[in-house]
Amino acid sequence: MAAAAPVSLAEQRRAELGRLLRKKYKYLDRTWDAVFWITAIFIVGAAADITKLLFAGDWDFWTDWKDPEWWPMVTAFAVVIIPSALQYIQWTAWRFPTGATYTSVCLFACTWIGRYFQWHVAEYYPLNFIWPISTVGAGIFMDWILLKTGSYIITSLVGAPIFGITVWAFNYIPLAPFLQPVQFMNHIVTVADVQGIAYIRSQTPEYLRHIERGTLRSFLGEAQYVSLAFGSTLAIAGYWVGQFIGRYLSVWPIGKYIKNY
Amino acid sequence: MRTRLWKWFLIFAFAVSATSYARSAFAHGEAADEPFLKNLTVAFYDVHISPTNIKVGEPVTITGSVKVLPTWPFTLDPPVTAYVNPVVPGPVFALRDRTVNGVPAIGSIAIDRNGIYNFKMVMLGRVPGRWHVHPGFAVDGTGTLIGPGQWVDVEPSATPFKYEITLLDGKTLDLEHVGGSGVWWWSFAGFLIGVVWMFYWTVPGPWRPDRRTVHNLAVTAQLPTWDQGRDFGLVTEGDHKWSTFIAAVTLAMLVIGWLYMVSQYPLRIKQQTDRFTPPQPEVTEMGQVKALGSVYNPDTHTLTINLEVKNTGANPFTIKQFTMGMMSFVNGDKEAVEKSGPPDFVAPMQVQGNATVAPGQTEKVTLKMSSEMLDEERLIPLNDPQEIIAGLLFVQDTSGKTSSITLRSTLQPTEFAKKYF
Ligand SMILES: [Cu+2]
Repeated sequence: MAAAAPVSLAEQRRAELGRLLRKKYKYLDRTWDAVFWITAIFIVGAAADITKLLFAGDWDFWTDWKDPEWWPMVTAFAVVIIPSALQYIQWTAWRFPTGATYTSVCLFACTWIGRYFQWHVAEYYPLNFIWPISTVGAGIFMDWILLKTGSYIITSLVGAPIFGITVWAFNYIPLAPFLQPVQFMNHIVTVADVQGIAYIRSQTPEYLRHIERGTLRSFLGEAQYVSLAFGSTLAIAGYWVGQFIGRYLSVWPIGKYIKNY
Repeated sequence: MRTRLWKWFLIFAFAVSATSYARSAFAHGEAADEPFLKNLTVAFYDVHISPTNIKVGEPVTITGSVKVLPTWPFTLDPPVTAYVNPVVPGPVFALRDRTVNGVPAIGSIAIDRNGIYNFKMVMLGRVPGRWHVHPGFAVDGTGTLIGPGQWVDVEPSATPFKYEITLLDGKTLDLEHVGGSGVWWWSFAGFLIGVVWMFYWTVPGPWRPDRRTVHNLAVTAQLPTWDQGRDFGLVTEGDHKWSTFIAAVTLAMLVIGWLYMVSQYPLRIKQQTDRFTPPQPEVTEMGQVKALGSVYNPDTHTLTINLEVKNTGANPFTIKQFTMGMMSFVNGDKEAVEKSGPPDFVAPMQVQGNATVAPGQTEKVTLKMSSEMLDEERLIPLNDPQEIIAGLLFVQDTSGKTSSITLRSTLQPTEFAKKYF
């Protein structure tokens, strides 16, 4: 047999990386993985929930606030931030397109626990009035786009708007029964409006709600689509807020202690 | 050990006494509001909450009036928008009907100084318990101003709570169960796909036996982020195939869900709101009031107001009532006092001097009223930058007509609390 074909330096280096990838560690070979993924559930869930509360507040709380104009706009921006930060961390560190899905799954678990125990059991609100939105489906799409492009810039420009629109689309489906018209107190209102009136919120007066109070009304009354377009553009900005958090606030301090190549 | 036991005993005793104290006091922390927020802003009168003992599903009616006083304090935003709503501990009642000045009110109302808002709210008992019920008047920029409260007992019922609504097509639904568990199952299905995605990427299995997480950093730290290391197996062809498959399933779920939604609920409208200016009830002006100062004695909880009342009407009138914030003081017998509002928030009033004023005449009178509620509800400013009170003086003429006159007076406590710090 002839001697093996000469291998280029670059190829040697790739093979070296492959060996490093499969290197067996004596201690904590996979334990750290479990420790990380499980302990981070509540930290990531809480971070995502706080961000959502901060920017979207009541819009993701009551069915009568999930309106055509503000809901698609503020939630898209609010819920893309932490998924973006986690995408940066998990893709950069492990090449896992999991940041958005992981955040969404954690947020889903935390919010449902909160809504069920704090608001349904302790405060008597029916769950069909206070169900939270889910960002899981949209998170999968955004992670898939990161996997396919390997680029934060393309993910922000394409993935974040798709995330914003599909967050709305996935949650508009369960909202539909609450948009049916009802005859109530001499008015035609939606089921959601009746919920908002019936289930008394002493500290959330009706005037706090902004039902199409913006200036989008000239679009043939279809504020919803204008809102979606604008909201998905805002999601690009939200994505970069998240990148800032991921790159500078959470990873940079660690970078001071690990070796950089 | 012994001292530790004592410590726990003390903590326990403190906790028990704290909760029982909190229970005997009134329920919504309304006393926390400053006096000027209660007595310079609005006055609640003729409030009735009945019946006070119902079963789940039965109605309780709140009626009454609230007047926005011309003394609205300069420290607050002007009164422009308000929402009339019951103040109860959460949705233990479900509101069924509401009118303001006779007009059905699904949303907020436009208000102004001197405006009078007669409200009626019907709510159904929803959760068994003993609940403190107040009418509330939430003003944009100011917060929820609370009227007098009444304890209402809601007893369990053999039938579960139901709130029927009629859709436009005539179908009736129970509001408690609209949408059924559809919201949950739909969201949960999406969640499960997300869990599958996470499992695929993080847990070693037949799909990727060599899967590891944190140790990947040793490799990725040496690569730019666009480099997926597909040639040496950092991210594999399988990873791409499976991820695309899961994303496709997610997309299919969205499309199927959307088609189902469109076929099931083709009729969907925008959420509705209705804001209006309630028509004002007719009022008869009968007189004028000039305040000559008031004094408050915290030891006896007694408020004394000196004033001059002038009758500008055609008939003689009599001073009947003084209402400050949520409290009403009544010049009359026990029955008249009881009729004027929830028992904890009404008390008798003494009128010294001529309570009856002839047309064209002016009388100097002194109003004297005592109630511990003045302190308990913090209606009197004793530690505030505005030592001022305001309220409504009600007079009734010989034809039976009633009129309210705003009274604003400086206040002087017989003593201020001494300060040591
Ligand atoms: Cu109360």
